[in-house]
Amino acid sequence: MSNKPVPHAKLAAEFLKDEPHRHFHDERLWDMRQKRDEQMHIMPEWQELREQASRLKEHTLAHLPQYLEQFEENARRNGIHVHWARDGAEHNRIVEKILRDHGHSSIIKSKSMITDECEMREYLEPKGISVTETDLGERIQQLDNQLPSHVVVPAVQKLTSDVAKTFAKYYNTDPNIDDPHALAEAQRNAARPVLLSGDTGMTGGNFLVAETGSFVVCTNEGNADLSANLPNLHIATLGIERLVPRMADLGVFIRLLSRSALGSPITQYTTHFRKPKKGGEMHVILVDNGRSERLGMDDFWTSLKCIRCGACMNTCPVYRRSGGQSYGSVYSGPIGAIIDPTFNAKKFSTLPFASTMNGSCTNVCPVKIDIHDQLYKWRRVLAERHEIPFVKREIMKMAGRLLAQPTMYRLAISGTEVALKTMPRFVLYNYLNPWGKHRELPHPVKETFHSWYKKNRLNKAKQHEETQA
Amino acid sequence: MSDETMSARDVIMQRLKEKKSPQEGAYPLPPVVTLGEQDASPERFEVSLALMGGKMLPLQEGEGIEQAIKRVFPEMRNLCTAVPEVKGTLRIEELETHEQADKVDVMVVRAAFGVAETGGVFLSEVELKDHLADVHLAQHLIVLLSKDELVGNMHNAYQERSEFRTAGYGVLMSGPSATADIQGVLIRGAQGVRSLSVIWA
Repeated sequence: MSNKPVPHAKLAAEFLKDEPHRHFHDERLWDMRQKRDEQMHIMPEWQELREQASRLKEHTLAHLPQYLEQFEENARRNGIHVHWARDGAEHNRIVEKILRDHGHSSIIKSKSMITDECEMREYLEPKGISVTETDLGERIQQLDNQLPSHVVVPAVQKLTSDVAKTFAKYYNTDPNIDDPHALAEAQRNAARPVLLSGDTGMTGGNFLVAETGSFVVCTNEGNADLSANLPNLHIATLGIERLVPRMADLGVFIRLLSRSALGSPITQYTTHFRKPKKGGEMHVILVDNGRSERLGMDDFWTSLKCIRCGACMNTCPVYRRSGGQSYGSVYSGPIGAIIDPTFNAKKFSTLPFASTMNGSCTNVCPVKIDIHDQLYKWRRVLAERHEIPFVKREIMKMAGRLLAQPTMYRLAISGTEVALKTMPRFVLYNYLNPWGKHRELPHPVKETFHSWYKKNRLNKAKQHEETQA
Repeated sequence: MSDETMSARDVIMQRLKEKKSPQEGAYPLPPVVTLGEQDASPERFEVSLALMGGKMLPLQEGEGIEQAIKRVFPEMRNLCTAVPEVKGTLRIEELETHEQADKVDVMVVRAAFGVAETGGVFLSEVELKDHLADVHLAQHLIVLLSKDELVGNMHNAYQERSEFRTAGYGVLMSGPSATADIQGVLIRGAQGVRSLSVIWA
């Protein structure tokens, strides 16, 4: 993995160049946000559900070793093989070994963010193991050799015409198809034979239930239930933070998940796997990959509460107007911006700055992660670790000194007013002022609040005090 | 189990125990809750099912279940059945290969229960006679559901239905397969069944 910081602003600017893409992306995600709101408004218990979900996740994370042990014991008792992977590389080796032991070489896979996080396809394919994504959005991204743009709708940055071109190349369909139905049908027809011939099925999972040793997969297309059940070998990969203590706790999370994600009351398929099918074999791989370390971070451990609904992405004005590809990561949007730096602080050092700090992400989060607070805290951490660019760092330092001294600040403000009025544009808008790249600096004001207050109120207040005395 | 996986497990456990920021005493286990509307009526189920893209298939005067299915799917050649109420062209137990199931036009099953909040129907290896994938390969699905087997919402489902603790595979299907992955257009009938219809029976 390259260590170079992701040029988020530059990539976003490229995405914004094409008006139809920019417009659709913004509208589509905002539509998802509004559908979420509609669901929220018809449920008076919504805030109580969020509180319960948050408390359940916090409790589970505080007792994670004990619940992991409980899950493992129950899953084993049900006949599931449980594996542990410290990182992505170990996960990929485990998958490879399971396939080799069976003499298998083709994986049919439903959508899972964590296998992307582990870069599993990149590891397995050169070794002669084919991995076919069967989720439509994920398949589009695979064919275009791109990371998912969004945790729920992986190809949301694309228009029908983009998909038509891609499918024409790989599925021999008409490159001018402008009906999404025809393209979805093409995917169904292309996926069926692959599904029927695949020797290994792989899924991710949304929840692990400690009490029963089950795991739950929430999907819409039906491809996960086909991928898991058609072959006799099913491998499921989940992060160790995916646990809930009791079966009864699922009620809270299932009621929140799809409503927060798409504004639908539930996913079309909510699938509970508790043991292998008759004559089949089932493996669960529990992946750490930096999670245990994150659980040790006082400021950031609650990001592990995330249930990957994508609500924070849909609501974020920066994400909506920059596109998932600009984050250069498997996880984009506000949640990506707070978890990506735990994987690589240098590479993802730009992402916590991709925010207006409006706090909307925090307000829509179904498990009440304080996302915008963590964005702020990451900025501080990254500044301390010198992971932010020179200009931004030095300007922040100067601003810090200035803001700490009232006299200096006022002097500077009156100077700025003069500058804004009199200086030519090339002095005000240059590389030292990245803020001004896409924005106009504020109009100079005739009078600052401070000078107005001094003139009109301060003396009157003093007079008032004197008459009172 | 190999030494390698043993050690990975122990390393992860050790890291968690040593480094974990949230302390156990500060985060007690919240009691199980049952929130929101708990109406378990067939009327609520029907409204929810429609919202998820599923359909009700009401029987006409004097009509049997099999006749109703034939009325709705006149072109159907293969009607596969997992229920005694319908004879069909073949029984689900008779499916020997997935390729055979791939040719099924309509599959009939009985759900263990339904959820009024979401219009979901629960199917497990018991109802599917261990043909877990075959139900999803069929083009259309007909689900028989008893009005006596409804729960109000998802809290009720997980607390009251024992199937979640007994089934090896249990899917709550709420309407047919769907996708909105291409330019946000909602398409009912993605990779699993193209339609899902419920008959009260």
